[in-house]
Amino acid sequence: MTRRGKNDALARFFLFFRVCRRVVELQARIAGSVSSSCPAMPTDSAISVARGLLQKIGLELAFASSTGVEGVTTLRQLLESLAESLSQNAAPPELGGMATAATGWLTGQTALNSEIAAHFNLWHPWMEDALSAWSHGLPLPALPTALPTAPAASSPATDSAEPQPVTVLPEGADDELMRLFCAEAEDLLRDIEQGVLKLEDAPDDADTLATVFRAFHTFKGNAAVMKLVVLQRLAHELESLLDAARRGTRPLTRGAIDVILAGADVFSKYVAEAARQLDGHDAGRSIPLPIPAVVARVRSVLSGEAAPVAPAPAAPPSAVPFPAKPAVPPAGVPVVATAAAAAPAAVAPAPARAAAAHGGSIRVDTQKLDGLVDLVGELVIAQSMVSRGAEARGVDEHFARSLGQLRGITADLQRTALTLRMIPIRGTFQKMTRLVRDLAGQLGKEIRLVVDGDETEVDRTVIEEIGDPLMHMVRNAADHGIELPAARAAAGKSPAGTITLRARHEGGFVVIEIADDGGGLDPARLRVKAIERGLIPADTILDDHDALELIFAAGFSTAESVSDLSGRGVGMDVVRRNIERLRGTVEIDSQLGAGTTFTIFLPLTLAIIEGLLVAVGDQQFILPAVNVRESFRPRPGDVTTVQGRGELVDVRGQLLPLLRLGRHLGMETAVADPMQAIVVVVEAGHDRRGLLVDTLVGRQEVVIKGLGETFTGHDSFAGAAILGDGRVGLILDTTALVRLSPTRAETAA
Amino acid sequence: MTTTAPSSTATTSAQPGKYLTFDLGGEIYGMSVLRVREIIRLCPVTPVANMPRHIRGVINLRGRVIPLVDLRARFGLPAALDHDRTCFIVTEVAAANGGLRPYAVVIDSVREVACLTAADLVPTPDFGGAIDDRFITGMARTESSVITLIDIDSIAAADATAAIHDPAAGDQHAGDQPTS
Repeated sequence: MTRRGKNDALARFFLFFRVCRRVVELQARIAGSVSSSCPAMPTDSAISVARGLLQKIGLELAFASSTGVEGVTTLRQLLESLAESLSQNAAPPELGGMATAATGWLTGQTALNSEIAAHFNLWHPWMEDALSAWSHGLPLPALPTALPTAPAASSPATDSAEPQPVTVLPEGADDELMRLFCAEAEDLLRDIEQGVLKLEDAPDDADTLATVFRAFHTFKGNAAVMKLVVLQRLAHELESLLDAARRGTRPLTRGAIDVILAGADVFSKYVAEAARQLDGHDAGRSIPLPIPAVVARVRSVLSGEAAPVAPAPAAPPSAVPFPAKPAVPPAGVPVVATAAAAAPAAVAPAPARAAAAHGGSIRVDTQKLDGLVDLVGELVIAQSMVSRGAEARGVDEHFARSLGQLRGITADLQRTALTLRMIPIRGTFQKMTRLVRDLAGQLGKEIRLVVDGDETEVDRTVIEEIGDPLMHMVRNAADHGIELPAARAAAGKSPAGTITLRARHEGGFVVIEIADDGGGLDPARLRVKAIERGLIPADTILDDHDALELIFAAGFSTAESVSDLSGRGVGMDVVRRNIERLRGTVEIDSQLGAGTTFTIFLPLTLAIIEGLLVAVGDQQFILPAVNVRESFRPRPGDVTTVQGRGELVDVRGQLLPLLRLGRHLGMETAVADPMQAIVVVVEAGHDRRGLLVDTLVGRQEVVIKGLGETFTGHDSFAGAAILGDGRVGLILDTTALVRLSPTRAETAA
Repeated sequence: MTTTAPSSTATTSAQPGKYLTFDLGGEIYGMSVLRVREIIRLCPVTPVANMPRHIRGVINLRGRVIPLVDLRARFGLPAALDHDRTCFIVTEVAAANGGLRPYAVVIDSVREVACLTAADLVPTPDFGGAIDDRFITGMARTESSVITLIDIDSIAAADATAAIHDPAAGDQHAGDQPTS
């Protein structure tokens, strides 16, 4: 039979399989071997959406073979929508898991081969049954265990029903994420093993029970993130077992502990193999794991039966992520291999713990890391002091060359030390994926999130701080940017909008872009709105770019209707301020009708800044160079005093408030006459202020250090740094100084 | 801080052990050696404006920025000029995150490390408010002298609140009008 012919046959027999499946399912129910978990009742709309999708999927399945690539693509989109809709409506995990798993089968496929078609023939009726069970609040039918439940692609070229060697690592899985998963799994499994052994002696130890339960729960979550559905399922089962013990409904018997250890061993085996393959050994090899057997044992322990002790293997152990042998004969007659039937107790004894010794990553206390960075910074300063001393004395060529080498090494060392604090921005971007999905559901829009460059490394502190502003901007893009599907269609665009998150390194900056292909901003409307709100005088002339900048003004909101998602008037001004606090900038670009792009520039590290050294009296202070606009010596008449507003300085026709730094800090100044002093214009956001200092000393890159708890509540200094002469220099908090109210500045003066 | 005795009781919460003793305003004080990290000579101090008078500023200890507190000022003793025996004791005090943080104090001169037994410890007499007794854990009597034992954690913990509430900060030059 040709492949084409087979597919046609499958399409024709589709209905027949469903009937067969129903009968088998009915028998299973009568036999009482269905899962007893009672899921929560879903809403009617959730069910009808899922039903509709499932129906479309059924149609696509019937036609997929004849339409080829196009059919598979549509099918995959439908499956993705189904998985999303299910997870949004808190469907039972098995239901969502199967939807996700089915999406995985299609990865890398251009057409439905007979193997996948056979999977779907089992999958579709199960989904229908499960959906109707869910809608009635009934227990879900047992999972068709013959189905592979993790995404992976087999080679579509062969028609053989023979088991194919498949990789332990899901195809398309991120190696680095997988490594993290393995590293954490090793820790969790160690906790589990130790905890369980402790429980053996003291089965009622509530703390240990909770620890082991949590460890399984975390493992399950991690497995879900990695789409390792099979592992997730087993973890789920073990978790329920522990939950029962935790609630006291089923004390941990010897048998239960054996099962838990067996489960942990399965995970250990998987993790060890995954780690090995990640390191390039036998990549692509599949290993048999007795997961159905362990699941069956867990179930039997839960239901109070004695754990089945090594019955003859009725079905081959499933491999991860594919079963070693899909229990589907070529003709496609559904064979329901229930979990109970497949129970080989071929549980290996505890495998030698795969030590975390092979390369990878290690976790280091951040305090140690900061200590190292401190010392390296110190070394750089000491090195520059040596160099300067040597140059002043005059040294021979050989020594000068050695000094040059030392300088190179210390610079490299510093760069390396600073990268230790950098982590990929991936985690932050992943949160946005979830956010966009939720928002799309709430707003009734179709939104696709495209993420690019999520491996870009950013300072840990930046990662912690950038989440909120990013979330706000993504929310804005979804709420105000992307139009409703109908409006998009009317504008000749695809009904699904796209939000793109991009990160990259560029010229000493981390650049993050948030782009949407929505309606864009109308400069004219922004201008009108700003005038309406009294943000700018009515006669202001603005070019388009300046008009776009208005959305960063405080109290500006473009939403026609204030929604509960965004548009509360606290918006982009807060975003800009947060980004500026990280010493970054944000820019906007928008084409009416085509979309809006925000570009955030952030410094690579928060540990080092370019500082401008200024002197007041006998003390030197550091101003972050990024906040300094200009500096000049005032001429007579430049400095004036306005009653109630303090001193002002004339900067090319613009009057800026002037703060005498010496007076503000209660210090003696070396220069009494402003005409002999220097005005440094500092900027924070759109606010500027002149700072009067004695002299400018120079520029220097400095390593920022916190002032510590003793100075909590101090509002003039942002930190401290070691200066070239070994003294501590204080870094002025320009934002606080600029935003100091004129009256406060006056009383302080 | 849990080792600080309530001021109303005349008991001592000080534990027997090794104490670093030092001179301050003609008296002898001691602090547990377990809290002493090192003793350093005078080094350049960067004053931090708008802080209570007893906080001299910050120093650079091999790349770390460490607060420096004048114990004379902290205890309300008359100020004295630094001399060649004046030194800084770098201690470790409890940090808000549960760890330890470095904290340096200026003292007149270091004496010795004394081993104090339970028999040496005596209940804290009433100081009549002369010295803030929340910083004192007890007294010890040896053959030749009386040692006041201080609790460096309480001293450090009192700074954060001082920075916010102490009006003696010195930046409020009332009546000093801006020039016109």
